[in-house]
Amino acid sequence: MSSHTTNNNTLNLGTFACAWCGLTVSAYAADGAPRNHCPSCLHSRHVLDHVEGGPSDCEGRMSPIAIAVLRTGDWMVIHRCVRCDELTSNPVRTDDNQLILMRMAVRPLAQPPFPLEAFGTL
Amino acid sequence: MPRNNHSSRGQQQRRRPQRHKDVLHTQGGHRANDFRCTSCRLDVSPAAPGTAHRNHCPNCLASLHVDRKTPGDRDADCRGRMEALGMSVRTDGEWMIIHQCASCGELSANRIAGDDNPLALVRLALRPLADPKHAGRALITM
Repeated sequence: MSSHTTNNNTLNLGTFACAWCGLTVSAYAADGAPRNHCPSCLHSRHVLDHVEGGPSDCEGRMSPIAIAVLRTGDWMVIHRCVRCDELTSNPVRTDDNQLILMRMAVRPLAQPPFPLEAFGTL
Repeated sequence: MPRNNHSSRGQQQRRRPQRHKDVLHTQGGHRANDFRCTSCRLDVSPAAPGTAHRNHCPNCLASLHVDRKTPGDRDADCRGRMEALGMSVRTDGEWMIIHQCASCGELSANRIAGDDNPLALVRLALRPLADPKHAGRALITM
């Protein structure tokens, strides 16, 4: 299998191992677009620097914290690195686990800081 | 508006103490005067209930890109307008607004304050559910 090294050579073989669930993930989704997070648990690895745009030397695990929506309506997963607290955003792929995505999207509503009853009438 | 969500776990769940903020107070660079929001031009007072510092406008939830690594270090050169992108929630129940700078694309996450416009907060939290395509896709896979 291909996924024991953690340097960039794994992407030349087309797969990488998920940092959280260990699944062997192909570097490209079903429609040919590159993916950086595991479709089953949505975790990622900090290999790209979101700020400067080059490779990062952190290599920490990135856990998903939120779902954001672009103006086009496409969903983005927001990740936070557990080592350096950097935030990144990446598009959702069609074969991502829809239940985990939906759970992450509605998580703020499950724990509101104020009661939501009044908003039903607005 | 009460923000105390007293969970049923009680003594088991310790309130996380607020991070000690000394970056602004020791250097004497604390902005003690009002500022105007870059998006909606609201006059915003620096006193915010529930937190020691403001980082976003309570009306339109826009922010300014002034911090680089730690909140309050005022180290960024960008000073671009950050607009609210989405809402996250911490494990202790605190809502966090995800901002993205319109100039450089950098992301940041900040807690909501006690006087934030609640309708703006709820609309931001509901943004992923606005279009039924994603909800339908989740149902179809089940």
